[in-house]
Amino acid sequence: MFAQVLLNGVLIGGIYASVAVGFSLIFGVLRIVNIVHGEFIMLGAFITYWLYKLMGIDPFLSLPLTFFCLYIFGFLLQRYVINKIMEAPEIMSLLLTFGLSLIIANIALLAWKGDYRLVNPEYAGAHLNLASLTIPYIRLSTFLFALVSVAGLQLFLQRTDIGRAIRATSQSKDGARLQGVSPALIYAITFGLGAAVAGVAGSLLSLSFSVFPAMGGDYLLFSFFIVVVGGMGHLPGALAGGFILGILQSLITNYLSAGLTYIIMFCILYVMLIVRPTGIFGKGIVE
Amino acid sequence: MKIPVSAKWWAAIALVILMALAPLRISGYSLRFITFIFMWIGLAASLNLLTGYTGYLDFGHVAFFGIGAYITGILMLKLGIPFFPAMFIGAIVSGITAVVVGIPTMRLKGAYFAIGMLVFAEGLKHVALELDGITGGGNGLSLPIYTNYVFFYYIMFSTVLLAIGITYWFERSKFGLALMAIREAELAAEVSGVNTFYCKLIAFGISAFIAGIVGGIYAYWMSFFYPGDVFNVLTTVHMIIMAFLGGAGTILGPIIGATFLAAIEEFLWAEFKYTYLITVGFIVVVVVLYIPRGIVGLIREKVFARS
Repeated sequence: MFAQVLLNGVLIGGIYASVAVGFSLIFGVLRIVNIVHGEFIMLGAFITYWLYKLMGIDPFLSLPLTFFCLYIFGFLLQRYVINKIMEAPEIMSLLLTFGLSLIIANIALLAWKGDYRLVNPEYAGAHLNLASLTIPYIRLSTFLFALVSVAGLQLFLQRTDIGRAIRATSQSKDGARLQGVSPALIYAITFGLGAAVAGVAGSLLSLSFSVFPAMGGDYLLFSFFIVVVGGMGHLPGALAGGFILGILQSLITNYLSAGLTYIIMFCILYVMLIVRPTGIFGKGIVE
Repeated sequence: MKIPVSAKWWAAIALVILMALAPLRISGYSLRFITFIFMWIGLAASLNLLTGYTGYLDFGHVAFFGIGAYITGILMLKLGIPFFPAMFIGAIVSGITAVVVGIPTMRLKGAYFAIGMLVFAEGLKHVALELDGITGGGNGLSLPIYTNYVFFYYIMFSTVLLAIGITYWFERSKFGLALMAIREAELAAEVSGVNTFYCKLIAFGISAFIAGIVGGIYAYWMSFFYPGDVFNVLTTVHMIIMAFLGGAGTILGPIIGATFLAAIEEFLWAEFKYTYLITVGFIVVVVVLYIPRGIVGLIREKVFARS
């Protein structure tokens, strides 16, 4: 029983890591706490849902399209709206992304109504039995896809020219500019990437959890928790934070009451902010 | 163009007298609607005391409204304490909670504070749901019904006067100056000898105290409330937008923003709920991009700066 609860937590934790990693990336490079993050996840989930519902496209096949759509959306949003306040005080970026999140979530609500929907392919019930453990194939494969997306992002940042330019901009904007990097372009690309990875996470979530227009709010808070625990802007930390949240949630839901999740999350945040604001690895950005 | 100071005072006094005499002429729905506007002015002014002067944006400010409502309700129902002391205790608890929560969250830059508070408010909602022995859980709390709408008009109005009075004090005092220094450049303020951490906490406490009072009045006025109602994220959304639309960090800002938005809401909410929230979102985006100083700031720039 306990092993099963733990396993469930780990499988969900992997998806949570992919939920938070885009949030962490955008904070690390643009120094913006992106409130629209939850809506990116919601949009990704809806792309998968509609492709499956209307055209019968397998949820896993819709991942590249989600990535592409959300990348373009994030890129344009940063380039033409958010970029205007990059030099303004922090509070302005919080407010602006908050306004954008209200607009997107409520347009979605207007268009799609508040119904809870589920992506339910025919292989949904299939599972693997390992000793006394039950592993649903869907949870396992979404877990693997989530890890691939986190690892892919990390590799992209480490190994490609654009990735290096992104890291350079994050370390020193002016230094990067002197090397011929255009910070404005890098900001838009980074924001697009963050949105794309969040969208893919949303697509993966749609296989296990309900899809509805207001779903973004919870995932925004989860992302924040994960990123504070793992360290703001430190991508491998998001992985650890994701697993911690997944396991914690699974334990709370099974042994206590699901309603306590937020209370315990806040208590942990409270302690982390006092004791170790840079995250468990001490590599987060604190200003 | 410049308005003499004495004229401003006369206008303010005239407005206060007008509002104080209003219940003689109006009643029923209109009186209730104005009381609602007062409630929003009180809440927007409360957020403004914190966010407008220190620059710390609170995405969970509704928590203090909810604490005020619940403490007032519980004290009245379970201990039989009369309304005024119950409300006062509720507001004090709100203020103290803010200071305790602020100790870790205000050490870091504003982003941690903003979302940390969002988690806090969400957590409190669940506390209210879980402790159903005391709070009634999801079924909410029902207080004895008191239908004297003139009474609620006057206490809401007094709360607005108190909130605006404190805002005026912020504008004119050394403490307020210290807060504004924190908003403009926290490090510079620190170096100049301002105890920034202490000042932020005090401002947060005062701000939460006001929100707690409004929550207490709301509880008694509505006589029924539940966690999803008094810990509603949308309430925070409204406070923020009202303060920034009117002009954060000004005396008149919350008054103008709250009145303006409450009027739009009255017009749009009933028929077009989602359209209303989309409109609100656009207002935020337009304010941030084009009028970051709000309506008050815009008028100051366009009308008064010329002379």
